[in-house]
Amino acid sequence: MADLTRRSFLQNAPATAATLSVLPAMPALAATPYSAGATAPRATSATSMVIHVGDVAAGEMTLLVGAQEIVLRDPGLAASLAEIAASAGLPLQA
Amino acid sequence: MSSHREAPEISKDPVADNTDVYAFVSPDNLDTVTLIANYIPAEAPDGGPNFYEFGDDVLYEIHIDNDGDGDVDITYQFQFQTTLQNPDTFLYNTGRISSLTDPNWNKRQSYSVTRVRNGQATVLGEDLASPPCNIGPFSTPNYDALAQAAIHQLPSGETVFAGQRADGFYVDLGSVFDLLDLRPFQNLHIFPMPAGPGVNGLNRLNVHTMAIQLPKSMLTRDGSNPTNPNDPRSVVGVYASASRRQAIIFGPNADIDEYGPWVQVSRLGDPLFNEVIIPLGRKDFWNSQPPRGDKQFLKYVQTPEVPQRLVEYYPGVFPNLAAYNKPRADLVAILLTGIPAGIIPGFQNFTGQTLADLLRLNMAIPPSASPDILGILGGDLAGFPNGRRVVDDVFTIELRALAGVTIPLVDPSFTPDAASSVVTDGLTPSSIKSPFLASFPYLGTPYSGFDNPSS
Repeated sequence: MADLTRRSFLQNAPATAATLSVLPAMPALAATPYSAGATAPRATSATSMVIHVGDVAAGEMTLLVGAQEIVLRDPGLAASLAEIAASAGLPLQA
Repeated sequence: MSSHREAPEISKDPVADNTDVYAFVSPDNLDTVTLIANYIPAEAPDGGPNFYEFGDDVLYEIHIDNDGDGDVDITYQFQFQTTLQNPDTFLYNTGRISSLTDPNWNKRQSYSVTRVRNGQATVLGEDLASPPCNIGPFSTPNYDALAQAAIHQLPSGETVFAGQRADGFYVDLGSVFDLLDLRPFQNLHIFPMPAGPGVNGLNRLNVHTMAIQLPKSMLTRDGSNPTNPNDPRSVVGVYASASRRQAIIFGPNADIDEYGPWVQVSRLGDPLFNEVIIPLGRKDFWNSQPPRGDKQFLKYVQTPEVPQRLVEYYPGVFPNLAAYNKPRADLVAILLTGIPAGIIPGFQNFTGQTLADLLRLNMAIPPSASPDILGILGGDLAGFPNGRRVVDDVFTIELRALAGVTIPLVDPSFTPDAASSVVTDGLTPSSIKSPFLASFPYLGTPYSGFDNPSS
């Protein structure tokens, strides 16, 4: 079973996941403001981000881009990500 | 042990571990206040080849509440950057370090200071040099001069220092956490042994210090100069914190990317609060919370565990304490609101009804000519819990308070046990090998690795 690396995820993700960087019309539930005045060390590039899916069933996830946090709910997107994990032999616990 | 490795998660993250906070009217500069926050507990002096340093990936902050609502009004942020002059050597220094710009000094750290006030962030200084660690007589022969050169006067009026110092907290760590087996009194312990002198468990260990000295008027809510101890504007609440980015991704080639906002992982106001007041199951959570929400921890202050343990481990020594079952309103005042006027003659450090663990300093009370290390318990109104000076014996003060000596402040019907006013771990500032300084940054010269090997 091949390890699911970040690089392989991006290379092998289905077409629908390729729109992650765009996120059209995603309902943003909350945006946490960046700590006033603090400068982010090791500034990340504008093309990278982290998605944390906290609840697959509810579609609750956090998108981290640079120093910003965006909380959103999209069950369809969460299900797609879970499907990708399962297809790589990494089924999520119920 | 004021807050050294006091919670499960932060004990695994020493670079972000806030160990002590001090706040006092500067004894040699009476119009100013000095704020100190220490991090990185128990630094062994012989810390090579990668000597201790602040974390480039940590946001260090000192916060001030000056209007009594438990919310932060002013924050000083410190952020660090490490640079290598020569990445092709394994050495921290390749020769004697004679100055902060000496080419022999390879691995250096500098920092920026930002002040946030009323939501406005102002960068006060950038590329400020930290001194090297104190290595030994060949590498850092004139260490005090290096440290002195790392004191920066900012154009905005603050004086800052960030670097290694000798740990100024003194406590018999080994005996305290051997179930309060205090050496001067261990003949009375449930596991009795002959009484003996205390041993400073942090002696000959270093910390990393952030220190700020600034005019009092820069801390008050209206820019006034505090002269009246009864004026609420004279009191500020202080705490420090450390934060990390919400997500860190470790790549396969030692590349590290960080994402998301800062998340608080450590905080400290009063010494020993998270150490001995908050139970293990909630220490990590406590570290993540702002002080303004400390009402959720009220029950631990009202019914602290330490008195119960004193009664258990010293049978028959604290009978009055054992019989006292009222909520500890004295500790709530000392730790969560400040002491209101009318309780202790000539003193108040009350910040209002918002329950918050803050170090509360009444800036209108001048320094003592002869400080009593027992602070207010010893009749010295300039000492802890009026802020905290480097000399204050905060362990003994808090132990005696927990043992009941402060209950009469709120309940005159209570008579403290005789033992409550003498219980101690037996230490004083003389238990610290590197003495305190009479001037900024007040903490002693850090122990050199060559002269203080771990063995």
